[in-house]
Amino acid sequence: MTATVQRITYEATIEHIDEIGPETRSFILRLPPTPHFAFRPGQFISCLLPVGGEIIRPYSIASDPEDAPRLEICLNLVPNGPGSHYLFSLAVGATVRFSGPWGTFIVDGAPAAECVFIAEGTGIAPIRPMLRRALAGATHPVRLHYSATSAAHLLYAQELEAAARTHASFTFAPVIDGSLTEDIARRYVSGDSDRARRFYICGVGDIVPRLRDLLRRSGYERRAVQYEKW
Amino acid sequence: MATLRVLFENCAPERIIEFDPKKAPFQHDGRPGSILDILLAHGVHLDHACGGSCACTTCHVIVKNGFEKLSEAQENELDLLDKAPGLTPTSRLGCQAVIEDDAEITVLIPRFTINAA
Repeated sequence: MTATVQRITYEATIEHIDEIGPETRSFILRLPPTPHFAFRPGQFISCLLPVGGEIIRPYSIASDPEDAPRLEICLNLVPNGPGSHYLFSLAVGATVRFSGPWGTFIVDGAPAAECVFIAEGTGIAPIRPMLRRALAGATHPVRLHYSATSAAHLLYAQELEAAARTHASFTFAPVIDGSLTEDIARRYVSGDSDRARRFYICGVGDIVPRLRDLLRRSGYERRAVQYEKW
Repeated sequence: MATLRVLFENCAPERIIEFDPKKAPFQHDGRPGSILDILLAHGVHLDHACGGSCACTTCHVIVKNGFEKLSEAQENELDLLDKAPGLTPTSRLGCQAVIEDDAEITVLIPRFTINAA
């Protein structure tokens, strides 16, 4: 029984697959000319994967809207994860069906205040296009704290370092020693009394609500701390 | 046992589902025993673009009866509901609201659940 409006689904072709980290792949999908697919930086697609019938797996879009008709997702191989195992079994030329775009974790312009992005692991995916949008015309500082388990797990690191060299307002702070929470607390909680910053946090698991609570409880407004927890 | 009565804003015929909450989960999406879990297991479609992981609002439902018999909403759900179109004082995300034993719940499934900001 269908209770709500029928969703448009898209069928994209895998154009390119890249190993961008340990057991982590980027998939460049080529969208069909129709129906037209448009999204805002930070949104995700909902993949409909033929595993035991059909399973739904959301993946953040790691590319820019301007990259259309190409769209990039990146994911790591999750132990016993049927969605990632299925996608890792696919080769160039295979098709992926999805609906979208979805999600309200979005940055679609230069921020009106200092903007702090916090990414953990593959949580960099939605932040990558958000960051580019934030840097275009940025008049306030833009910072990225990006935590991963090792330097090899820091995805898009060269690109992020290059952006830091190009944009004087942008600071890139990679973290590979597990000190992300302490760094955030020291810099934005005990470091000063400025509470006008905006935060955008994305990652997998408890680190996300932990950072959310840390910031909100230290005086930042609820809506100034946006996050997406996977 | 518990009862979930389902009304549809698009005028589809209502459904009444009786189930044993202690037997949850009934399928794999959403919290075990959640409204989404019950609906999907009983052949009632409810969108859940994020797979039922509390990352969107496509499973937004309006609770018409038994609101207090649902698990309390956590901050992540409240933050998402904040952005849901057609938000009401008794809105919940179907993937997060777990139905207690002996509860009689009535939910309305909105016609539109699109959550593009």
